[in-house]
Amino acid sequence: MQRLAPFLLLFALFVGAASAHAQEYNPETAYSTFRKVCGVCHATDFSMPPRSKDQWTQTIQKMQGLGAKGSPDEFALIIEYLMRREGSVKGGGRGVQAGSADKHLVDFAAAERGRKVWAAECINCHGTQARGGPQGANLVRSEMVLHDRYGSEIIPYLKKGHPLQSGHPISSLTGENLSDVVHFIHEQVYDTLRGSPIFHQQDLLTGDAKAGAAFFNGAGGCTACHSVTGDLAKIGAKYDVPALELRIVSPRNARGPNRPRVTITVTAAGAPPVTGYPAAFDDFTVALRDAQGVYHSWARTPDVKVVKNDPFAAHDALLDKYTDKDMHDLLAYLVTLK
Amino acid sequence: MTTRRFAFILALAAPLFGQVGLDPAKLLEQPTDTWPTYHGDYSGRRFSTLKQINSSNVRTMTLAWMYHASGNPGSIKATPLEINGILYFAAPDHVWAVDARNGREIWTFKWTSKGGTHIGNRGVAVFHDWLYVETPDCHLVSLNIKDGSQRWAVPICDLDQFYYGSLAPTVVHDVLITGVSGDDLDRPGYVSGYNLETGAMKWRFYTVPQKKGDPGSETWPNEEMMKHGGGMTWQPPTYDPALNLLYITTGNPQPVIAHKNREGANLFTACVVALNPDTGKMQWYFQASPHDTHDWDATQVPVLFDADWEGQPRKMLALAARNGYFFVLDRATGKNLLSTPYVKVNWAKGVDKNGSPIPDPAKMPQLDGSLVSPNQGGATNWPPPTFSPQTGLFYVNASRAYSVYYVFDPDANPMGWGGIDEGGATLETMIEAIDYRTGKIRWVHPWQTGSRAGLMSTAGNLLFAGDGSNNVIALDATTGAILWHAGLGSSVSNGPISYELDGEQYVVVGAGETLWAFVMRSK
Ligand code: HEC
Ligand code: HEC
Repeated sequence: MQRLAPFLLLFALFVGAASAHAQEYNPETAYSTFRKVCGVCHATDFSMPPRSKDQWTQTIQKMQGLGAKGSPDEFALIIEYLMRREGSVKGGGRGVQAGSADKHLVDFAAAERGRKVWAAECINCHGTQARGGPQGANLVRSEMVLHDRYGSEIIPYLKKGHPLQSGHPISSLTGENLSDVVHFIHEQVYDTLRGSPIFHQQDLLTGDAKAGAAFFNGAGGCTACHSVTGDLAKIGAKYDVPALELRIVSPRNARGPNRPRVTITVTAAGAPPVTGYPAAFDDFTVALRDAQGVYHSWARTPDVKVVKNDPFAAHDALLDKYTDKDMHDLLAYLVTLK
Repeated sequence: MTTRRFAFILALAAPLFGQVGLDPAKLLEQPTDTWPTYHGDYSGRRFSTLKQINSSNVRTMTLAWMYHASGNPGSIKATPLEINGILYFAAPDHVWAVDARNGREIWTFKWTSKGGTHIGNRGVAVFHDWLYVETPDCHLVSLNIKDGSQRWAVPICDLDQFYYGSLAPTVVHDVLITGVSGDDLDRPGYVSGYNLETGAMKWRFYTVPQKKGDPGSETWPNEEMMKHGGGMTWQPPTYDPALNLLYITTGNPQPVIAHKNREGANLFTACVVALNPDTGKMQWYFQASPHDTHDWDATQVPVLFDADWEGQPRKMLALAARNGYFFVLDRATGKNLLSTPYVKVNWAKGVDKNGSPIPDPAKMPQLDGSLVSPNQGGATNWPPPTFSPQTGLFYVNASRAYSVYYVFDPDANPMGWGGIDEGGATLETMIEAIDYRTGKIRWVHPWQTGSRAGLMSTAGNLLFAGDGSNNVIALDATTGAILWHAGLGSSVSNGPISYELDGEQYVVVGAGETLWAFVMRSK
């Protein structure tokens, strides 16, 4: 897959909104309304964790208090847009931009009921996840299933006399049973796709804690900056295991108020050095905000010396050095610091 | 007067008003007054023979115009075509015709979408008076280039199977050739040839075998896996008219990350494949990533050039692949001449006798994670590289990054993705100028902020590029020295093009939703 740049991910999420209820919800109108009303004051490409409708409503009310202008319909559309964009409802085909705009959306309660029908009447032949086996077809890859909407293809097919594992005739299942099992099958398809809510890291604690301690105190050179009784004292309690592994690999993307950040120091000829957070840094200009929040910029000429102070440079260098065993051993060790 | 007679008179008068359609002869020339295909010509070199703008005067190039694309289309990733003074380009569900002299919109076309992934559109093809474009919802659409009116639309893939359309079609002889996108579920990739007049399919080449006994089927465990084995065809092909061979590149196998049910090399995924453009029959293949497990498609541009190889003139094909390897092949036979990493990689144990890298099983995705470089984004990605026959250098935007590849789905029979890469960091991003004879890096220009821009080289000893902080940049193609730049408000998002009109040379790039044209004024 051609990977998305972060801003495109946002765009992708926006387009993903097109997948749900295309009839009543027009993503383009929603997006342009959002840009029109909210874009007056701030960037519209922010990303936030999923929030409920109530939470978004509160935010919008706050914005109205700050002067955001729009009709009640426009604000309702914006809330709907933000909920979809920021993925307030996940799974079952929602937030999936691939595929048809009118794709089958799973009713989760129905799918749960369908799971029981599945276990009683289908599982032995078609498998736990509907991936098929010697006795039954793979339904996740079935074109009939992919073309189906709410039973349009599957139910007439089953009604022709499909076998059930109880040995009863297909007519022993009610219309609701069939519709529920259809939701269950579609859920299995969506659960197979990239970003599926059911997939996550498995057991990561395969390393040797002793070897991890030795690496930490020796070859890894970690003690130059860290101490297991100081800054990393309770690191095993601070993060869940998958997050801790990613922090060991690179803490660069962690965000928070007291985190170290990259700064630059610029010294122009005959002027005192200025240090701050980079605002722009390329081959032509360098700009920063100093501790007072004042913006400075310079053309990059030979007279302007720029020094990048990168607290994560040592961690970047570790990437060329870590073996997978080092990574797993360090994790096994640091997880014990609670 | 009847419309028919009026049309007849107009047709007679057409030469007086100036021609609009593409003369097919232009497809066989090097691009000068015309940029007739996605890659500028069939070779994929993206080398302009124009040199009015050159390394000694590029500083005096001026802004000609800018055009902000109507309709909130998202970033312009398409390489525009320039034909008889008009630019044609696309974004998902949008096509525009814009005056190449002044940036005025001539017409726009909007497709009403039924869905599909709207990640990007690489552009259009034109032949005589007809334009061809793919839509995210799996249609191939033909428009009249005079006014953007729709002639026909035919389905080319099944949206319900999570395919979509994103790439620019290519015309060879009387065949319109194009591929498909989409790797969400396990489906086979294919490239097809269509009738230029009707859109009817003439041939289809599946990039994975569809039944036991088909070529490549010995590299899959069973028919069920090969039939669903992926290999999407995201990149417009290149073509050698003398050999009459079409060069396509193919995507990663499926399931993407969790891979234990598809032992084997998984042909013809992550390959360069040479096809006969009239029949779609395969002539040879070369695999860039046998049994890929990192989402490293080989759908970068297969660049064609004729040059000296160990003292003999040779017809070659070069590919800087997403997996970090630079390959040179003999394009008549597919014989591998050179395989060498262009960034430091940690996933291969060397190359086999055919020149294909040998994947290290320890660096395939693991349940407890494996630290791998490149990351999923790759050492490079879809943005086009360029080759300058003047310098003999192959220029590519490269990136060196690590991430941790996890298998999420421990099932013996995984499907879809079944894992992903997470975390890690990018260590360097840069333009590399690679000597095709050795794979050695002649010079590097590092970026502070990365770059997703395509590249173009010119006979004026220039290399056009863009950085990650909104600048379009001209470098000296021989030395890599920066000669000129301009801030565009968004980063360059497509491949630059160049053309000559009224005796003046233009350079056009897309940045976000805007096209920018620069020109060397002759007076
Ligand atoms: C005794 C084994 C068995 C049981 C029990 C069973 N199936 Fe099937 N099913 C099959 C087989 C075998 C096929 C393939 C038939 C064919 O290819 O003609 C199939 C095909 C299907 C198909 C069509 C797939 C396609 O692409 O053509 C669907 C949908 C389906 N089954 C759903 C169900 C559901 C829902 C249940 C439970 C209510 C169920 N099946 C119970 C064996 C079974
Ligand atoms: C040159 C200094 C330096 C060295 C050497 C170094 N680190 Fe770090 N490390 C840092 C900095 C700076 C941070 C960011 C701290 C923060 O975000 O609060 C960090 C963060 C971390 C974190 C996350 C801490 C948190 O609370 O989020 C872990 C875990 C970590 N390092 C492990 C290691 C290990 C293991 C080694 C040795 C293999 C190592 N570091 C070597 C500088 C260093």
